[in-house]
Amino acid sequence: MTTKSATLKKKGARNIRHIVQAAFFIIVAVTTTAAVLSEKGILIPFIPDASLHAVCPLGGVVSFWQLLNFGTLVKKVHESSVVLAVLGLLLALLFGPVICGWVCPFGTFQEWLGGLGRKLFGKKYNNFVPRKLDKVLRYLRYLVFAWVSYMTVISGKLIFQDYDPYYALFNFWTGEVAVAGFVALGAVIVLSLFVERPFCKYACPYGAVQGIFNLFRIFGIRRNAPTCISCKACSKACPMNIDVSTSKVVRDHQCISCLECTSDAACPIPATVDMIALPGSVKDSYKKPAAAKSGAVKE
Amino acid sequence: MKLSIKSMAIIVVGAFALGIAGANLLGFWQTTSSKQPVVIKEGEFAGLPNPADIRGSYTWADVAKAFGFDAKRILKAFGASDETEKVNTLEAIYGAAGLPAGVEIGTDSVRLFVSLLTGLPYAAEDTTVLPVSAIAVLRESGKADAALIDAVAAKAYDPANTAASVAPPVSAPASPVSTLAPKPSAVPAQPASTTVTTVKTEAAADHVATAGTLTGKTTFKELKDWGLSETDIKSVTGGKIGPDSSIVKDWMAANGLTFSELKVKLQELLDAKK
Repeated sequence: MTTKSATLKKKGARNIRHIVQAAFFIIVAVTTTAAVLSEKGILIPFIPDASLHAVCPLGGVVSFWQLLNFGTLVKKVHESSVVLAVLGLLLALLFGPVICGWVCPFGTFQEWLGGLGRKLFGKKYNNFVPRKLDKVLRYLRYLVFAWVSYMTVISGKLIFQDYDPYYALFNFWTGEVAVAGFVALGAVIVLSLFVERPFCKYACPYGAVQGIFNLFRIFGIRRNAPTCISCKACSKACPMNIDVSTSKVVRDHQCISCLECTSDAACPIPATVDMIALPGSVKDSYKKPAAAKSGAVKE
Repeated sequence: MKLSIKSMAIIVVGAFALGIAGANLLGFWQTTSSKQPVVIKEGEFAGLPNPADIRGSYTWADVAKAFGFDAKRILKAFGASDETEKVNTLEAIYGAAGLPAGVEIGTDSVRLFVSLLTGLPYAAEDTTVLPVSAIAVLRESGKADAALIDAVAAKAYDPANTAASVAPPVSAPASPVSTLAPKPSAVPAQPASTTVTTVKTEAAADHVATAGTLTGKTTFKELKDWGLSETDIKSVTGGKIGPDSSIVKDWMAANGLTFSELKVKLQELLDAKK
């Protein structure tokens, strides 16, 4: 295979994910718009309508406590949200946070803005935040998740809606978005020009839940050291700044299973960085603290 | 086993398609609420629909159907004409009407109206008022006690007389809630009228806790400060208790419990401690 055809093949493979992302973005945009119009009495033929809460798995996750204890859902959350939450958890258990990397429309939106940022700043893009600070900030989303869960449990309401930039993006025209939501959306838009997926990295409560599954997912990213040429193409391609090139298996809590680092996409050597079923021995090696750094297993 | 980008795409799309289709077949794929409020779980009204669960997304027809009365009554009460309109349109209509600060006509007003019309228990927010048109309907067909309707009428909103007709909220300590029995001729499906209907009549703008008096703003910490043990509280709430900082009413609403009913039991416990 020539270099040119190999490059085209990789580009084509990467585009598959972009097409899936765009499809989910369009589906969510159309159905949520139809839901708002339907509330105003404007019905669009052949288009199913569903509010953003009905198609967001976070509502299902934060409803679990109430559902288990009282058999009811948090206000504005519907059964479909619970279905998506369960689906998301099963997928995460098997493949990690594929919902973040392949499905979430807000992640896609940030990636699109990131494309602009990459053109503006070139190689500097996604490398503005100092490593040490970045590492600490990435735990913020767990605090956000804890706060959202606690407030939802004690109030029975979707407290996060008022601060949620995702909700603001798809409802900015409805008059139902709080000022804090607009501020959060504006901040994400600006930050996305400098950092890839800033909301996913630092603040997304659902990303926090999904990210935990990286620690024990069945299928994971493995780098085959004997064939690796240490070109670091995998690390450079990672939107979440994970140092794949020095890892044996990626167990970083921020991996979004986008497969951009794999030999299908960024890695130039076949069968070197792949998504595979992880054998027990690889999992065991992760348990050695001396070998771990940034949540990834080193050789 | 290796997964390529192409196979991952198939897995993700397939999982969503099959998952949603499967949930749909099993009846779990519900993207809207059922428009059927939850039922009251305890007391003599157990099994009847709970006014507290009326949502802004319900239409006037949904409310009338769920509580078994003629939709014309609620349309007349709130000056609406189309029974397919949603209840949450009230907030926009009366918000634009320029209500005095501290009072509100919205979904909670509908819950209060339904409670008074049917005799079912409900504790409304302090700031909730009804339009005078609703009072006229209640005087004609309301199942709740006349004194209770009078209390709500005292602060009803009259669009013709604007702010003057609405009693302004007071910042004094909240007075005890009025606890009145509904008329014997309550909703046919409901039990005898011995159970209390509880509706707040105070209009306190701010929460000023009066020791030993349970209101819609009381927290679990205040209950404990007033002498109730966790065991006491759990004996009323069915073995569960919220965090200290939680407002009892909100916590109960979040957990499917009926504040207006359990409040009476908690207040009895508080009174016994005095």
